[in-house]
Amino acid sequence: MSLIVRGPFASILDFARRDRLSGIGAVLLASLVLLGLIGPVLPLGDAEEIGVGPRLAAPAADWLLGTDELGRSALPRIVEGLRATFLLASMAVILTGILGTLVGLTAAYAGGIVDVAIMRLVDVLFAFPPLLLAILIAAVLEPGGTSAIIAISLITLPLFVRVVRAVALSIVERSYVIAAEVSGAGFLRVIVFHLLPNVLGAVIVQLTYALSIGMLVESELSFLGLGVQPPDASLGSLLRLGSVYLTAAPWLVFPAGLLLAAAILSVNLLGDGLRDLMDPLRGRSLR
Amino acid sequence: MRIFRFIAFRLGIALVTLFGVSIIVFMAVHFVPGSYEDVILGPFGTPETRAIVRAKYGLDRPAVEQYLHWLAATARGDFGTSLTTGQPVAAEIIRRAPATIQLAVMATLLAIAVGVPMGIASGVTSTSQFGRTAGRLVGALGASVPVFVLGTIFVFMFSIWSLGLTVGGYVPLFEDPLTNMRAMTLPVVTLSVFGMALIQRTTRDSVLSVTSETHVTAAVARGERPPDIIRSHVLRNASIPIVTVTTVYFAYLLGGAIIVEQMFSVPGVAVYVVQSVRNRDYLAVQAGVLLAATVFVTINILADIVYALIDPRIGGKRSQS
Amino acid sequence: MTSLLDVRDLVVVYDTPRGRVVALDGVSLDLEAGETLGIVGESGSGKSTLGLAIGQLLPWNSRRLSGDLSVLDLSVFGGDDERLRRLRRDVLGFVFQNPMTALDPTMRIGRQLARAIGPRATRDSVRALLSRVGLAGAGRIEQSFPHELSGGMAQRAAIGMAIARNPRLIVADEPTASLDAWLRDQILELLISMCSATGASLVLLSHDLHVVSRYCRHVAVMYGGRIVEYAQRETLFRRQAHPYTRALLESAPGAEGPDGRLRPIQGLPPVITESSRGCAFAPRCGWMKDLCNDVRPEMQLTRDRSVLCHRAEEVLACRSGA
Repeated sequence: MSLIVRGPFASILDFARRDRLSGIGAVLLASLVLLGLIGPVLPLGDAEEIGVGPRLAAPAADWLLGTDELGRSALPRIVEGLRATFLLASMAVILTGILGTLVGLTAAYAGGIVDVAIMRLVDVLFAFPPLLLAILIAAVLEPGGTSAIIAISLITLPLFVRVVRAVALSIVERSYVIAAEVSGAGFLRVIVFHLLPNVLGAVIVQLTYALSIGMLVESELSFLGLGVQPPDASLGSLLRLGSVYLTAAPWLVFPAGLLLAAAILSVNLLGDGLRDLMDPLRGRSLR
Repeated sequence: MRIFRFIAFRLGIALVTLFGVSIIVFMAVHFVPGSYEDVILGPFGTPETRAIVRAKYGLDRPAVEQYLHWLAATARGDFGTSLTTGQPVAAEIIRRAPATIQLAVMATLLAIAVGVPMGIASGVTSTSQFGRTAGRLVGALGASVPVFVLGTIFVFMFSIWSLGLTVGGYVPLFEDPLTNMRAMTLPVVTLSVFGMALIQRTTRDSVLSVTSETHVTAAVARGERPPDIIRSHVLRNASIPIVTVTTVYFAYLLGGAIIVEQMFSVPGVAVYVVQSVRNRDYLAVQAGVLLAATVFVTINILADIVYALIDPRIGGKRSQS
Repeated sequence: MTSLLDVRDLVVVYDTPRGRVVALDGVSLDLEAGETLGIVGESGSGKSTLGLAIGQLLPWNSRRLSGDLSVLDLSVFGGDDERLRRLRRDVLGFVFQNPMTALDPTMRIGRQLARAIGPRATRDSVRALLSRVGLAGAGRIEQSFPHELSGGMAQRAAIGMAIARNPRLIVADEPTASLDAWLRDQILELLISMCSATGASLVLLSHDLHVVSRYCRHVAVMYGGRIVEYAQRETLFRRQAHPYTRALLESAPGAEGPDGRLRPIQGLPPVITESSRGCAFAPRCGWMKDLCNDVRPEMQLTRDRSVLCHRAEEVLACRSGA
């Protein structure tokens, strides 16, 4: 792929220039991640400090996005929430990506009973409605960040395993894999050096989809009060608290909702573009 | 003949899946902190009363025996009684099923009605830069707004301009259709936006991949008209992925429209299961989750049959996974 | 005078993620009614693009930069969709490489043929068409789906669809490349007999010079998006004026040298990103001199052929390879 050959930076720029939507998605995602990362050092005010202003005050110079029911400034809390949402979802998704890739490769390469067992297990995970599974996990293990991460992992695991297995199956039969086996390469060696590089593209695309699903699930869990627990905040839990005062203080709801949608949108735009790059669907004019 | 073998094969896989789900649910529920005695007796349990409760629910027997007992009862349709209300779980689920089914069916139909035409349009206009960008943007936008954000926006908007719609106030459809529709419109629309985007994206990709095939070029080369080509050669060939995502979407709605049911006070099954989780009403949780998974695999078997009807090449032992 | 197919200096480029690729770099061609023309070239030579351009079936990421292509005096790039559609329906017939992908996999053969015949199709006309292409197995084939047919039967059905409305010009792009070798002659014979029966012209695109010249009276050799040599087949086989044509013949089975080996063409066919300055074949050419890299050769009309080479006369004069 030209992505790797021409040096990552030049080709990322090139990709963003040719595909406007992905470019916009990438810039949006990068700035939101940056905002989350440097949020704590920005002069936005203290996220925890109670009584910065009056309770449920409308936006003003000292509290740019208003204040909540305890008189805390909403802006730094939203930035905190953004950070938590990104952090939880991406941690879960990266872990799952690694695990799912290895499991998918094992299924494809080992074949036989191992393959059947893995795929039936994936079927089982897939049969749970995602949010219901997340709620069940929160109930078993106490609501909080850890159970949110585990829930996102179990929900997105099938995505990786199925796709990686399908891609890997199409390569396992190819001559260079057989050649590697004949020359005495072990199980792990074949997987890491011969199969892994070929599924990476598909994994990266799945990572973006899984990240978007992960952010949705995390925010939904938090909205139900089963995600991160106070005093920590994520965008979902801010919306949960804010929606109580929906008509009195809409500023507690809409900026956070907008930010959440923008974050997920940026990931989706980028993911669509990457998939287009890996597997261009040209289509044709019917005229 | 082949189709029956195919269905039997899928049925076998579905049973294995459900078996796995039942084990996980049973184990999960047994790991939930707290116990039946705590739920039923609260803080007032004495060793004697606790022993009575344990014996009543068979908790003094080995876990495997408990599991098999539960599985056998569930297979007979006996979901047990609620630990908090003492009412049969099955009766409560049946009472709540119509609202959930109505919500899922209407949201799915709306999502198909909007998503498929939009997907076809963005698929066939993807041969221009503008069409390509517009189609992708619309799909990505719809898939990016969390259902509770959308719901909150609707609640806010309709608290100002009600337009005759209500938030809450559900009555069964056949009791009072008008009041029912006034209460159900907002949840249905809220729920279906994600489905519209999902179906639009899938339809678009699928149409694009079919129009990239030679047989569509051949149809153009024969001088067929675009609408004829779409109707006769594109739609059928593009429909399998659309059926797949619509099925999964519909099945998940039947078991998991939790947030919308809660936000709009729709008395459905999903909120019941979530309430049961919060109340540690173990038997209701087990029944609810297993039911959702059963609905999921059943609907997927139906989808498998639809695949075989759509595409003559399917029907052998070709596994989808 | 109206010629069936008239291509004038056609330049077509593709916009790909890696930049622009020139597929046709100034192609000119005439075809009279009743002619059979074989176009030979390696993959990437532009022959498939030329074939698609005849029906304006080019993918949407392609652009015509200059030149024109007309069928019966109607420019296919004219922008009149309705007239173009009528042209495709009534004048042109296309046969593609792989019949399994060129037939709709979810529609029965009988219905596909009926759609190709048009609104007046009947059971009998479908049967008649099937027997014209040697598929007279009544009923069974009509009811089959493409995947239930063998490759050879499927290609016969696809040819049937192409000739269903008795086109004046049939364009066949590697129609036998996906079939077993022993079927190749059957299918090509069928195409030729269909053409002579209806008086249709044939444009046969192939990588195989020998196959093309067995079935087509005229042969055009393409390289780097241009036609480098054009002549009657006998003329071309007797002597070659372009080093590439000669190299093609010498690298084909049957042309083994005294040592029993073929002489493959050195190097790879080019991917050109802008109109070539010199001769596109120069880097691989044994006859190359400075001129070839710097001056773009133009088509020379000699007594019996057209050729695109600065040293054509020397090549013609030389009996063996350079």
